[in-house]
Amino acid sequence: MKCDKFIEALGARVKILEVTRQYEDQVTALVGLSDLPEAVRFLYYDMGGYLSTMVANDERSINKNYALYYALSMEGGKMFEGDEIAQDEKCFVTVKVLVSPENLTYPSVTPLVPACVWYEREAYDMFGLIADGLPDKRRLVLSDDWPEDLFPLRKDAMDYRYRPDMKEHYNEPEYEFLRPEGSGIIDVPLGPLHVTADEPGHFRLFCDGDIIVDADYRLFYQHRGMEKLAENRMNYDQMGYLAERVCGICGYAHAIACIEAAEKAINLEIPARAQAIRIICSEIERLHSHLLNIGLACEVTGNYTAFMHIFRIREYSMKLAELVTGGRKTYGNVVMGGLRRDITGVEIKESLRILKIIETQVEEVWDAVMDDKRQIKRWKGVGVLDKQVARDFSAVGPNIRGSGIKRDTRYDHPYDFFKQIEFDIAVVEGGDVFAREMVRYLELKSSVSIIRQCFELMPQTAIIVDPTFHVKPENFALAYVEAPRGENVHWIMQGSAQKVFRWRCRAATYNNWPSLRFQFRGNTIADAALIVCSLDPCYSCTERVTVVDIKSKKSKILTNKDLKDFSKTLKNSPMKDLR
Amino acid sequence: MMKLLDITEKYGKATHKYPFEPYKVATNFRGKPAYIFDLCIGCAACGIACPSNAITVQFNADQSKLVWEFDCGRCIFCGRCDEVCPTGAIRLSEEFELAVKFDKSALIQRGELDTQFCTECNKPFTAKRLIKYSFECLSKANLGEKRLEEAASYLNICPTCKKNATVTNFTSGKEMVIE
Repeated sequence: MKCDKFIEALGARVKILEVTRQYEDQVTALVGLSDLPEAVRFLYYDMGGYLSTMVANDERSINKNYALYYALSMEGGKMFEGDEIAQDEKCFVTVKVLVSPENLTYPSVTPLVPACVWYEREAYDMFGLIADGLPDKRRLVLSDDWPEDLFPLRKDAMDYRYRPDMKEHYNEPEYEFLRPEGSGIIDVPLGPLHVTADEPGHFRLFCDGDIIVDADYRLFYQHRGMEKLAENRMNYDQMGYLAERVCGICGYAHAIACIEAAEKAINLEIPARAQAIRIICSEIERLHSHLLNIGLACEVTGNYTAFMHIFRIREYSMKLAELVTGGRKTYGNVVMGGLRRDITGVEIKESLRILKIIETQVEEVWDAVMDDKRQIKRWKGVGVLDKQVARDFSAVGPNIRGSGIKRDTRYDHPYDFFKQIEFDIAVVEGGDVFAREMVRYLELKSSVSIIRQCFELMPQTAIIVDPTFHVKPENFALAYVEAPRGENVHWIMQGSAQKVFRWRCRAATYNNWPSLRFQFRGNTIADAALIVCSLDPCYSCTERVTVVDIKSKKSKILTNKDLKDFSKTLKNSPMKDLR
Repeated sequence: MMKLLDITEKYGKATHKYPFEPYKVATNFRGKPAYIFDLCIGCAACGIACPSNAITVQFNADQSKLVWEFDCGRCIFCGRCDEVCPTGAIRLSEEFELAVKFDKSALIQRGELDTQFCTECNKPFTAKRLIKYSFECLSKANLGEKRLEEAASYLNICPTCKKNATVTNFTSGKEMVIE
């Protein structure tokens, strides 16, 4: 069976207390608390794993303890040619530990595997579990004025509708940023409000002149407690619809990841046609998301003409979504056991026509953009993500593929219909903005071909299985989908009464944020917006920015327009009259 | 740069004159659910199916009406109501212009149906139209005259009384030991 090889190797290293299998490619090994860091490090670096997600869970009602699940995707380190596990051996190995509610501490894995840092910070916020030895113990998810002793995801902590009183802004605790040492360093705060807000986020850039020395950021201004809401109030019919509202762009990927996690936990196989349509819709989503990002990467650098053209083409992909699912966004379609809406022959014919248009026009515009030397110059060598940093932080999506690491869930762990489809994985060396945009362009082309193959190979079966299934309490499983920004991982533990016990939703960008500061270093302020944009979290377009010179104590407020103008023209530096 | 301008030349205008000309949506577009009051029987299937609680069906304060209410601000256009409606009273339309000016109550649509009171205990329990609809269904079901009459007598009483009536009917009012 899959995974056995890894469990055996792990068993030789640390003492495994219990092994359980959730799905054919998913195995969980329970280890002792003191063995945790070594077990995760061994699987991560020695066996070639990437951290997919880490889930903290309040299992006091089940086994009187809290539990931590470190889910690793075993696919090979991929740092050089051949450093990869054979295709039929790739799987997920989860390392589980139990943390007693008396002392609530566990040894931190972060010093050995940096990718865990955000997960362990979040485990404290949500459950009050303390990672012993974690270098960065600040809050991550909850706001700074959240009560110290209230941990929302504990089952007995609070009602899901409860909102603690806010503190007055002058009483709010200060969030400490990780400042670099040195004199003459200027703080440049960006955010937290973005005009095109996918998410608001506060970026603190530490600059020496125009050069960014280091950066730190505070995110989660939009944390809405969806996980708590789903646990308390939703049934499986409603959950899929909540999951797709995690993201405004790649919502469909979240919906299928969430529903597939629930399906996998009870080993429910869905009909082939439903699988194909799920793939078609998620690829349509990729088309419009990548076109959006390439367009914005042009816009941030002032290339409005290209931006307008790319958005003109993007309109076709929205049309395509409208045709196939009945809404310009692909929402409201996925239910447990399959799908709610079939595609008719007429729709397929029209879709193929639109695909042809997208294919030719994307190529034309991309050629024109590539011809523009000034555009290329703004992209090349900017925001470099080092290969080793990408490996250490388990980056995902175009972000890691732009650094020359062939990591794509569709290829590593083919789900649904991907087992029957041939496609190229876009991998570009370089790690700069240019490489990432190139990956997106190549993926646009492969998406078009995937959609075509699906239309061709899609069998005439039902699109939903008879919904007479029963969820089993305490079953859990992991589901993974390659969203436009990278791998989305949802982990579901089922509870009684058709409800979830714990739902952990890990969006793609969650894995990309921690490495962003390395991408900022050494670049100019003018490129900051571009670097954030090339990650495709959202477009870092700030409402206003305050610039403070620590030496002269002078400050100045820049408007959105000032900063944007400077990004585009590189003239009239806003820092000039401060120096 | 010049290449981009050539593309502009090649494809010409990409914009429409919307809102001065209508915007055509796809044939199976999922727009605002359209409600046809005359067809609604107040069975509340849509209210149960609605995942976002946009549709509610409940009695008004003095219980004289069964109120069907749809809040478009909560709707996620999934179309579950459309799927479950037995009479086609609610169908997804092609309408997508849903903005209202300041007044959020304009997003709410309401239908008031006459309440059916239980003939035994006088408790309101459903809409008159649902009883009528059920009777029509029964008459079409090819039942014998006597059987139909018997079924119809059960239609106008509330679930609790129905339960009691069934028991009384079976036992003819006597206490019995069930073996």
